[in-house]
Amino acid sequence: MNIMTLQRYKNEIILLFTALFALFGFYYKLSAQSYVEDNKAVIQKQISEIVEIESYKKQWKSKGIANRVNIFKKIVPKSKRKRFSKKSSKVSVSYINLTTNDLNKISNKLLNMPIQIIKLNIAKKSKNNFTMEFTCKW
Amino acid sequence: MNLTAKSNSNKLLIHRDMNPISSLDHSIDIILTPQFYTFIREELDVKFNYQAKQIAQSLFDDYLDHSHEYQYHVYKCDSSWCFLAYNIDKIDAFLQTKGIEKHRVSKIYFAQQLIGQIETPILIDDNSALVNIDNVITIVPTKIIDNSIEYNSLDTKSLKLRGGVTMGSSLNSYVSLKETLLLGTIFTILGGISLFEGERIKHSISKENAKLTELLDENPRYASSMVRESILSKYKPIDKIERLKRDSIKDISKLLSNKSELELLTIDKNRIKATIKAQNGATSREIGKYAKKRHFKLLGSGVDVKVEKKL
Repeated sequence: MNIMTLQRYKNEIILLFTALFALFGFYYKLSAQSYVEDNKAVIQKQISEIVEIESYKKQWKSKGIANRVNIFKKIVPKSKRKRFSKKSSKVSVSYINLTTNDLNKISNKLLNMPIQIIKLNIAKKSKNNFTMEFTCKW
Repeated sequence: MNLTAKSNSNKLLIHRDMNPISSLDHSIDIILTPQFYTFIREELDVKFNYQAKQIAQSLFDDYLDHSHEYQYHVYKCDSSWCFLAYNIDKIDAFLQTKGIEKHRVSKIYFAQQLIGQIETPILIDDNSALVNIDNVITIVPTKIIDNSIEYNSLDTKSLKLRGGVTMGSSLNSYVSLKETLLLGTIFTILGGISLFEGERIKHSISKENAKLTELLDENPRYASSMVRESILSKYKPIDKIERLKRDSIKDISKLLSNKSELELLTIDKNRIKATIKAQNGATSREIGKYAKKRHFKLLGSGVDVKVEKKL
């Protein structure tokens, strides 16, 4: 193809290149759409899983929990605490002669603390006298 | 004298009675005689060529046949503006009859542009000559030219020509220049918009990508879906059951009032159980009703209401 032919079909060549440019642009847009459709859901799922893991870990594997459970040692007078045992990441506590107020106080603390309640036992012995024992881990 | 193209010349004077060209195998510039254009010189108070070109058509209103489309060439000549009107279709048709293909024509010049180079008449064929009359190049029959005048020849090789016009891609192509510009612009705009859109679409997940990268930088282990699933499968049930335990205890606490007391509450691996002592049957039924609403299973009857829920 010599220069003359190129010159002769200058318009067609320009049109061909601009049309190719338009096609390339369109193809680029389609591939971008397909890339986003394929990846957006995957990325969002990965993010939500990681965020979920982080939040679970923060909630159920909190580092300060071992210290926070010590509150069950002091929450009622020593005379009402029958047993307090903390080993590794497990705590077992039992109380006697608890009043309704004591019981509510301990229950609230227990329910608001991010630990797994393995066992809980509350029993009424007489009017306004309860026993309570629980085992929790974290 | 014959002014038709020599084999090694790239300029050719075009006039009505020229001889046909055979086997033209290279591009040429053509010089049109006044037979192919109309010339007007005007003194106008305009500064730029494009301004002069804008009024060119109106200047020729009275001189041209409006059934044809004309093209205009304008250039500054001394203190005036020189306007040339020509019909490219007619020129093209004429060139075809003389064996000159349109794509062989590089540039078109007008004899008027030779004004400084034509001092004596130039014989273009046996019957006519190009003559400079009052600075207008005109074709004059030789009959009316003084016999004593000596004619010059036009040395096309040494001609210095400037400001010609291109044949116009409109005539060299299947697609006109106007259509090319229009379609080319549309395609370019469409392509540009598509590229822009594509870039914008790709960019739309860049935030998510950045966030994911940041999260993975902090914990590279989470890049593996197996690791994520394993951790989630460990914590999801814990979260679900612990929430259920707490919600159930809160529900049981709502069953208590001054007419009912908690006797027993136990939570073990699989279930939560409670025994509530009601003061009377009505309270007991109310407790039972509420407990059922909260998806507890009712066990026993009478004032000792036993409720149970599987974890």
